[in-house]
Formats: sequence, structure tokens, C-alpha cells
Amino acid sequence: MEEELMESDSVEMSGSGTRSGPPPLSSLLCKVDPGSCGSERRVSESLSALRASGLGRHLGPWLLSTLQMRLATAVAPEFWAGLDQPENDLEERDRARVLLLAFHTLLEKLEPFIGGLEMLGRWQEEGRCGLTGPGTRALRDRAFTIIRARLLFSPPAVLQRRVLEFYSRTFSVHMSQEGQAGDAGAEDGGPDDGGACPGCVAPVGRCWCQEALGQLQELSGILSRLQLLEPVSSEAVTSIMHTLLEQRMEQHCRGEYERSFLLDFQEWLELVLGWLARVFASTEEGVGTPQVTTPARGASGQAPGSLLQQWRRHMHQFFCRVYVNMRIEELFSIIRDFPESKPAIEDLKFCLERTNQRQQLLTSLKSAFESRLLHPGVHTSDILTVYISAIKALRDLDPSMVILQVACQPIRKYLRTREDTVRQIVAGLTGDAEGCIDLANELSRADPVTLEMQDSEDEGSDPEDWLPDPTDAVKDKTGSKRRSSDIISLLVSIYGSKEIFIDEYRTVLAHRLLHQLNYNTAREIRNVELLKLRFGESHMHYCEVMLKDVADSRRINANIREEESRQGAGPGGEEEQQTPPPPPLALSAMIFSSEFWPQLKEEKLELPPLVSQAMEAYTHRYEKLKAMRTLSWKPHLGSVTLDVELEDRVLTNLTVSPIHAAIILHFQDKSSWSLEELSARLGVSKETVHRKLALWQQHGVLREEAGGQYSVLETGSSRERLERSILLLDSDEEGDSNTATQSEQREEKLQLFWAYIQAMLTNLECMTLERIHSMLRMFVATGPVVTEMDVNELEAFLQRKVREHQLMVSLGVYRLPKAN
Amino acid sequence: MKVQVKQWNGVASWLWVANDDNCGICRMSFNGCCPDCKVPGDDCPLVWGQCSHCFHMHCILKWLNSQQVQQQCPMCRQEWKFKE
Repeated sequence: MEEELMESDSVEMSGSGTRSGPPPLSSLLCKVDPGSCGSERRVSESLSALRASGLGRHLGPWLLSTLQMRLATAVAPEFWAGLDQPENDLEERDRARVLLLAFHTLLEKLEPFIGGLEMLGRWQEEGRCGLTGPGTRALRDRAFTIIRARLLFSPPAVLQRRVLEFYSRTFSVHMSQEGQAGDAGAEDGGPDDGGACPGCVAPVGRCWCQEALGQLQELSGILSRLQLLEPVSSEAVTSIMHTLLEQRMEQHCRGEYERSFLLDFQEWLELVLGWLARVFASTEEGVGTPQVTTPARGASGQAPGSLLQQWRRHMHQFFCRVYVNMRIEELFSIIRDFPESKPAIEDLKFCLERTNQRQQLLTSLKSAFESRLLHPGVHTSDILTVYISAIKALRDLDPSMVILQVACQPIRKYLRTREDTVRQIVAGLTGDAEGCIDLANELSRADPVTLEMQDSEDEGSDPEDWLPDPTDAVKDKTGSKRRSSDIISLLVSIYGSKEIFIDEYRTVLAHRLLHQLNYNTAREIRNVELLKLRFGESHMHYCEVMLKDVADSRRINANIREEESRQGAGPGGEEEQQTPPPPPLALSAMIFSSEFWPQLKEEKLELPPLVSQAMEAYTHRYEKLKAMRTLSWKPHLGSVTLDVELEDRVLTNLTVSPIHAAIILHFQDKSSWSLEELSARLGVSKETVHRKLALWQQHGVLREEAGGQYSVLETGSSRERLERSILLLDSDEEGDSNTATQSEQREEKLQLFWAYIQAMLTNLECMTLERIHSMLRMFVATGPVVTEMDVNELEAFLQRKVREHQLMVSLGVYRLPKAN
Repeated sequence: MKVQVKQWNGVASWLWVANDDNCGICRMSFNGCCPDCKVPGDDCPLVWGQCSHCFHMHCILKWLNSQQVQQQCPMCRQEWKFKE
């Protein structure tokens, strides 16, 4: 029935169209058309007549050109005029009506043509009335092409504006109906003014949500009928989607790393797709309801080519891109917060796999590191902390470790230039560093099995699981096999050798053993054992000897104490029977094997006779215990626990260094000393004595008087206490290291090298830099001294010698000056 | 004022009372240990010959074992006798 009606309509329309058509054809058709009105028979008669005059094949082109003409002269201008009403006079709701109305009119005007073309095409296909031609499909396609071309070749901005507005509105209506009012309404910046409908922002009484949805459906119907859906709405839809997605991302995700957003956004995208389904409802059958499948799966699981699927894929891709962009910007902060920001890393990993932005990520991360981390204002331990987080985070992000390797290159390079890097790393390893317990945990986590596995990775894993390196991998000889993710190996490899670390650890260990002096080495033994797993037994040998020394000292002490108590009763009693004998100095010793400990700072210190006598006695006993061995005391090392009794107060259990103790012991004999006297008595420079006196001044035991005289404060008044609180301990007091500083050691080592170099040059006359370097490595590569010295360092050293005229160089060949 | 020292923890290094620093055989320090040992001191003691030369015990024993004919001090070529 309907078809019939449309046909008659169409013929009428086409008839009316002829009036403006080209004269020869139109005149012919004019005769036919009026008669054919209303009945198919008449039309076919007319067609036969046309065919008879040999014009049958012109019928299709004629109809199309009529359509084109009508569009150009009447329909399109009318459409634009209908749309382009003064905007400000109208409310949004009315504008929506106007938009719909315009499209309605458009459809009304064009429908007859389309109907006519369809009929013609059908007849052509059926060969009715002897008509031949391209057929329905072709005719229709051509007609729609003409419509699109005429109408949308250069559409006024008003169309996009209106469509965008209308779609935004229906979108928010849709979202509010899906129970997402809060976030979807964001488009209109909607702080919900009381009583307004969340969808259309109109007062509740005048809510036109339903109307809008109806209009949407109608509009979609019209557009799809005219095949204008894509050209008209895709731009608007895309821009709405993109804006909303970005806004949503900005609101929800920025700065929020502790939650995964993938599911959230997938749910949200499904809602959005529900709306899209409404927009594209009439072209898509059966996808009108939102699907529950995830976009990723949905995309592959359903018939390809469907419009909604394309949108789904597009939105998903767009989401990934926006997300990755945002996270790339924030990656530094994400890394900084790492264990907490794991969800963000996982999301990013998921999205990064779907976008091609690794390069962008690398570049951005590298520059973030450089600008935010690698400058003098950042403490080394902070750099290390971030680096460790980066290792952990990037290892999750990219299991191939390529991002890690490439992005952290600048950090490693920079750390190499910091002097205290090694110290910080070792402190971290031993759990001494303040904030950084990661390394200690990492160390204790190490089980040798996993370490082994990393070495023989190629055998352990299934060849089927092999993945090629990403294209951005650094092409180096080590290859992916050796790309390690182990934090400690990575840190240690900053310098390319573990010797430096082991040496530093030795220094730290020595410092610690000499400071605590309670022979409790459980923790150190554990650390050494753990380090042994990492660095190998042979490297930790020296540390083991050090720990053994501690254990031995403890035994020897016990031995000597026992002997003392056996003999002590005799001589003590002889001297003074009446008054209780002065308690013998309770001396215990840390006896170490000098060859195996790092070089200790040599300092002179004359101890009070009481102490030195005790030490002599101790040495004596030791010599008895160990034949042919003796002790060499380091008077400045160790610690002393003492009580100071003053007239009105007692300071108990002070633990001080030997020099402090020596000073206060001298004040016991004589209550006032000058700096010079003390310095002479102690054999220590005046500066040092002055510095050390500060401790006792702070305790309120001593007071500096005019003329550099120090005297004991037997009674402390509150005023002086106040005064002394201002006095601060010299800060280097606590940090005083017993071991020679690294640079000092380095200098000594270089001097050792110099001796070798001189000897070599004497024998061989002249040598190149490389030769010297390899010879040194051969000869000096034994002993506890680290012999890691790269060619550059050696060259710098030799250059210095050249400047000092101790060496000559010509054409890269070094020789000793003749005069020598 | 009275100062009472409750505990004095001193630090000392031990060393062999020998007339040389290094072992004449392995050239390692006496206070270290011979190349075969890991721990110095009790585990790698020194021994003195009657010629007053001294070596790491392990070193001189190895040397003496390698001498087929006569056992001599590697330093002074006198007959090697352990000093009592």
C-alpha cells in the first residue's frame, strides 16, 4: 500500500519537477506525467510512450538532474533558511524543534525523488516496459551522492552548531537517564540549580527529556533515510565524545594513581555507546541495547563493519590515547609514588599496548628525569629512591625492560658523576639509609636461584614465549638476554664493577664495627652472607675476616679478663689496704687484622698514664696468649663509658670518644688547663683539642675562661646551663669517620700506581697509555685495594704527572724525563 | 671533680713480631696470610728457622717438601731447622 502511495507521489513530484527541467525532455514528459497521476498503469503507458520515442534510457539521468536542480534552487536554500533563524530569540528547546523541522521539510521535499528513483530502478531491474538501466541501488547511490554533495559541500557553521547542541543535549539526557547524571551533565557545566532536571537543565515542570529523546530518534530516522547520518552527525558526535572523555579523564584520573580506571571507563563507554546506539539507531538493527562485553572483546567478536562497532573501537582507541597522553605527562609522579601507583602503571601498560606512543613516553620521561631529578638540588639518596621506584615501575610497565634501560640512562650517567652515590647505595644495602629501606629488602629478598635464572634465561624459558625486542631497544652487544631487572645488579652496574661497592661496604662495615664495639655482629653477618650471594664468596672474603676478628677479639677479651681476675686480687691489695683500691681500668679491645681492614686514619693521641698502662698490661697478656704476636694500639679509636662526678651533680654513663675521655681525665688531676698545655699533653693539635672541648662545655663540665684557660665547673648554675645550650657540638663530631676518606685512599692508590709506572718506564723506556693500563691491571690486580681504574682516569693521572714534569709525553708515548 | 671510667673500649691491630714485613716465599705480608689461606693469624702462623728467617708456616712447609736433597732455608741456604 505504502509503496503505491509513494509511487504516485513521486510521479507527481517528478511531474512538477519537469517544469523547471530542460525544454526538450520536459516537454515530452509533461505530456505523459499529468495523465499518469494516481495509477501505475498510466505511468507504465507513459513510459511505453517514452520508450517508443527512444527516450527510455534518458529517464534515469533526467530524474537525477531534476533532483540536482531542485536541490540547488529550492530545497537547499529553504533548508538553510529554516535552520538559520536568529538563535538568541529561541530557547534551546525551540532550536531543537527548528532543527528537526528543517530536516523534516528536507525529507518531505526529497522523499518523492527518492521514491521515484526507487520505482524507476525497480522497473529497470524488472525490465518492465522495456526499461533498462543501472538498477535501484545504483540510482539511489547516485541520488544520495547528489544530495550530500549539494547540501553538505560547504555547509554553513550553523548546522554543525545546532547538531552539536542537540546531540550534547540528548547525550546528557541519555546519560542522566542511565543514572550518570553527575558526570555526564558536565558538558553544560551543570552545578545542579535546585529543581532542574539533570538531563535537560530545565525546571522540573518543563522537562523535555522525553521530547528530546523522541526528537533524537526522529532525526536519526530522517538522516538515515537520507543517508546523511554519517556526514551530518559524525563530526558532532566525535567532538562531543572527545570533549567529554577528556573532561572526564581530567576530572577523575589526573593525579589519582592509586585506582584503576579501566573498568570505570569501560562502563562509562558502554553508556556512551548506548547513546550512540540511539543516534545511529535506525541504521543499526539489534545493537540498540548497550552490550556488556568489553570493547576489546566486543570488537573482535562481532560482525565487522557495523557502524556501532567502528564507534566502539574508535572510542576505545581514543580513550587509550588520551589516557596514555595524560599518564605520560604524569609518569614522573607516578614513578615517584610507585608502589602506591601500581594501578596507574597497569592501566598505562594496557593502554600503551594499544597506542603507538612508546617513543613519546620515552622522550617525555627522559626529559622529566632530567629537569626534575638530575640537578644539584636533589639529594643523592632521593635520586636513588626515584631510580629504584623507576626500576620497579618500569619493570611492570614494560617486561622487556627496554623502556627502563633507555629512560634511565640519564639517571645512571648522572649518578656516576655524584661522589656519594656508592656510599648511599651501600648504606641502602645495609639498611643504614634513612628513608630508603627498599634496597635492604631487595637484598634480603635475593635468593640465589632467581639470580641463577637470570643468567641462564635462554634455557629456562620456553622458546614459544620468545618475543622480539621492541624497536626502540638500544642495540648493544649485551642483548635482551642480559637486560636485567634486578635492582641491585642495576645499581651496582652503574659503575660497571662491583669492587667499588665491596670496598665501600668494607669501609662502612669497619666504621660500624669500630663504633658499636659490643661485638654484636649478627646483623653484619647476615648482611655479609646476603652480599656473598650477590657478589660471590671471594669478593666478600675480607669482610668475613673482619667479622671473624670481632669474634676473636671477644674471645681474647674474655680470656684476658679471666686472667686479670685471677691475678688481680694480689697486686691490688698490696698497694693500699686501708682505702679501697682504685678499680683497675676496665679495658677491652677490638683486635683487628690490619691487612684485611680498610686503612684507618692514623691520628696521634697521648693517653693518660692510667690508660696507657692498662693498655700495656693488656698487650702483655696478649703476647702471652699469642706467641710472637703483639698489639699496636690505635689510641684515638674506640669508645669510653664514664661517669663524671661534680660537687652538685653526677653525669652518668656518658659514652665518649677516647680523646674526650683523655681530656676530662686530665682535668681530674688539675682543674684548670690552657689550650696549649692540653695540646702538648695530648699530642694533638690545638684546633682539635678546642673542638673536642666543646663536648664538655656543652655538658656543662668545663668552662672557657679568659686567656684560653679552661676550668671545671664544679657547681652548675642555671644561667650557665642556659648559656651552654647555645654552644653546639661541632657537627663533624658525630660523622667523624675512622677510616680514611675515599679520596685519600684513592690518592694513595695512585701513588702506588706511580711506583709501578716508574718502574715499568725505567725498564721499557717508553709505553703507550693502553700498554700502561693493561700492565697495571696485570700487576696491581691483587690485594684489597680496588684496582678499578679506567683508561681515562689513568690518562688524567699521567697528564698531571706530565704537568709536574715527572713524565714526558710525545705522540701518545710516555717516557721518563732523562734527567731523572 | 671525679671521673670514673667504667669501660674503655680500645682498638688495636695485632702483628707478628718479625724482622721483616713480608714472607720471603710468597711475598705476602706476614700480617696477612699465605696465598692458600683465607684467614690470617692463628690459621696461618709464622715459623722461625734457626737461621732467624721466618716464613708463613704453609709456605716453608711447601718449600721444604719440594726439596729432594737437602732442606735449606730459601733465604740463606743454611740447613733449615725449626727454631724451638
